[in-house]
Amino acid sequence: MSRKTWLLVLLIIPAMILSACGGAKTETPVVQGTEVPTTKTPVIVRVGYAGSPDTLNPTAGILSEAWTMYGLVYSSIYMPQYDNSFKLDIADSVTPSADNMSYTIKIKPNVMFHDGTPLTAKDVAFSLNFYREGVDFPYMNGYTTSFADAVAQDDSTVILTMNTPVPNIDYLLAYLYILPEHIWSAHTGAAAMEFDNAAMIGSGPFKMVDYAQGEFVHLAANPDYYGTKPLVDEVVFQTFSNEDALVQAIKTGQVDMITEFPLTALATLTSTDNVKVVSGPGLAPDLNDIIINQVSADNCPVADGGLCTGHPALQDVVVRQALAHATDKQQLVDIVLLGEGTPGLTLIPDALIPWFNTSIQDYTYDVAAANQMLETAGYKDVDGDGVREMPDGTTKLEFRFNWPSDSTVAPRAAEMISNMWGDIGVKLQLQALDPDALTSICCPAFDYDIMFWGWGSDPDPSFLLSVMLTDQIPTGMNETGFSDATFDDLYIQQGQQLDKETRKSEIWQMQQIVFDKVAYIIPFYTNAVQAYRTDTFTGWITDQPKLELQNVLSLVAVEPIKK
Amino acid sequence: MKRFKYLLNKIKWAVFALLFVLVLNFFLFRVLPGDPARAGVKDPRMTADSQQAIRVRFGLDKPVINCFVSLNPLKLGNCLINPLQTQFFIYFGNLLQGDLGISYQTNRPVGEMLGGFLLNTLILIGFGQIIAIFLGIFLGLIAAWKSHTAIDFGAMTFSLVAWSLPTFWLGIVLLFLGSTYLGLPVVGKFSAGMSLQEGWLKFLDVAKHLILPTLTFTVVMLGEYMLIMRSTVLEVLSEDYILTAKAKGLNTFQILVDHALRNAMLPMVTIIALNLGFTVAGAIQIESVFSWPGLGLAIFQAVNRRDYPVLQGAFLIIAITVIFANLFAELLYSYLDPRVQAS
Repeated sequence: MSRKTWLLVLLIIPAMILSACGGAKTETPVVQGTEVPTTKTPVIVRVGYAGSPDTLNPTAGILSEAWTMYGLVYSSIYMPQYDNSFKLDIADSVTPSADNMSYTIKIKPNVMFHDGTPLTAKDVAFSLNFYREGVDFPYMNGYTTSFADAVAQDDSTVILTMNTPVPNIDYLLAYLYILPEHIWSAHTGAAAMEFDNAAMIGSGPFKMVDYAQGEFVHLAANPDYYGTKPLVDEVVFQTFSNEDALVQAIKTGQVDMITEFPLTALATLTSTDNVKVVSGPGLAPDLNDIIINQVSADNCPVADGGLCTGHPALQDVVVRQALAHATDKQQLVDIVLLGEGTPGLTLIPDALIPWFNTSIQDYTYDVAAANQMLETAGYKDVDGDGVREMPDGTTKLEFRFNWPSDSTVAPRAAEMISNMWGDIGVKLQLQALDPDALTSICCPAFDYDIMFWGWGSDPDPSFLLSVMLTDQIPTGMNETGFSDATFDDLYIQQGQQLDKETRKSEIWQMQQIVFDKVAYIIPFYTNAVQAYRTDTFTGWITDQPKLELQNVLSLVAVEPIKK
Repeated sequence: MKRFKYLLNKIKWAVFALLFVLVLNFFLFRVLPGDPARAGVKDPRMTADSQQAIRVRFGLDKPVINCFVSLNPLKLGNCLINPLQTQFFIYFGNLLQGDLGISYQTNRPVGEMLGGFLLNTLILIGFGQIIAIFLGIFLGLIAAWKSHTAIDFGAMTFSLVAWSLPTFWLGIVLLFLGSTYLGLPVVGKFSAGMSLQEGWLKFLDVAKHLILPTLTFTVVMLGEYMLIMRSTVLEVLSEDYILTAKAKGLNTFQILVDHALRNAMLPMVTIIALNLGFTVAGAIQIESVFSWPGLGLAIFQAVNRRDYPVLQGAFLIIAITVIFANLFAELLYSYLDPRVQAS
């Protein structure tokens, strides 16, 4: 082969490779019917956040960023409010039948989808049935388990019939976004979750303009919105994979608001001109928990891979209560959270009023009392090495203490807890693990002693309470192995209790049971800490019981500062 | 004919290497602990039924391969089941049809996702490599020509420091300085709303976003290229034919460019070709610091969610680029230096 031919071959190989790799689209194209206004310079709110929606398809979304977008682009029958209540959104009224086995839902007239198609009761009925029939939908399916059927009686009336009466229809309907039947009817069954829904045609106050996975979401105001119209033209959410860049962006004015930032930047941002830092309980507050493995031998889910290697001392409620007494929660808040949080109490965050049990008196931080409890129960330090042993003198009170390696608060918290519990003769073997490694030892394997982790929460407590049910031990949802027959019965009762006060009482009782038996030690509830520029937009909602600046209620209220 | 056989032989080994990497990658992810159906999600709404539905949807409920239901935890299974009902053969069957699977996280085709990410990475490293190569060759040549002078000392110091700087640290420092004092953007590929613009405005916006990440990449690569170029040029300058060239009365420029450079380029070409393959994955730190939506960032995010199809697809791309870059380097080297083939 000549040198020229040889050189040709060498040039052809990379050309083939590049031509095969290049040319793929990087983003969803602009959707028809959602052009950006071109007559004047649009007023754009730029929001920086550290995540990105996993999908624009509401049937498949899991990440909170995706749900933020759904709330902006879609309507639902009820809209969650900052005070934990729900207000009618697309519906003028929702009237229960006498036996609460059906609801008559009256839909607002003259509502249009973003593509100009009228939204009628048929779309509402279609959406409710669509979610109910989608048994594979990760989150949506859980909201419709008590639904039997939804029928459009006419263009403005939907009759929703139930399998069982529920106390929280407003909550269950709030996240069932109304989908246009003329689009989604072609994506039913297994195809539903695979539909990328790039156009995201909804009826909410904002509509999709452009989207690039992992980069940005670009929304424009919906001029035909039936409710409070946005005062800005567009909103762009930009994804930051580096939190230092997020802080730098708000400082230099490249974004107008950031939804989160590392607490180490709190002092910097507080002292930055034209930047305001705000904090408070999040709209769907997260919580951290100290998970104590207390699965009994009877409940060990061996058939599901249960190993149940937890330390025997943790089966004793006295030990767990002593640990609770030895935990200085206020110090954890002050140091780990730099004050941006409140001491924890139960698995229901304190922001979930009225479900949070305010009557529970926490275990006071009292090292002497904790030591006394352990001494009385027979857990003595026989060999004088500072670590107590079991009453039979065999095993030391030395516990494995793990946390997910991606947690920013856990390392310092673990270190502090180790010191605190060291004061009562308990030694911890600290180890961070990859979240999936942690899941694999947690549940249903129960191959751990104590973990520091957390949960996301919802405005209604039923999902969080369900993780302490006995029948959730084999599924892996119950991470402590806690089991109480009264708790299990109360869970069923509260799920059907129509009287709100009675339901509240039942939920309070459930929290008391869990608290008395120390299924968890809740160290703190973390505040949402956000920041916005004070020289670009005004009107951010910061005076409500909960804080979420990127929520639809806030984004329709902001307006540019007139200079 | 001889060259043709040489080429075929190299391609054959490249294909074997690729197959080995594909098989290794498949099993490597399944040896990791964890369950993609639960990965990274701590929300009580993700019930056990929902998790099982995810497993069934993505075929994760099927055995990994005959005789093994799962690798972590190790669970033995039936050896006599239909192999086409195992994850391994389903994956390879789809791969042969050009289907890289569906992302567990986004439910989008992996090929479509990675194509966009790869293009962004190639834009970033393409510009950076071109600048680093030209500057590295030029500065390395100067340093060798002016060896044992202040210029050489300065160049050596700079290249050693640049090569040893942690990439992410340099990126963060440049991010801070560039945004504070020059107003350069700190995130992504576009400013808010610019993705819809066309033509020159969009190009300028992307170029502005490329400045800091490209500068970071260039500085890190420049150090390596300068050092290698300097070292090989010094070696060439000590050859007898250079002395002959000087004796013939050729000026410095002619000696350096016509004689020294061409021979000193041989190792540089190899290094550049190999780097082109590795830096497709190596840009991950820069992409993370500047939120540049490239392949490295996609890999980082997919690891957190145990998104096997995206990881397998990304590693396939990286394996192809590394193996074929290596192949290209060997072939180019043999073209530039016929003595390689003769041996």
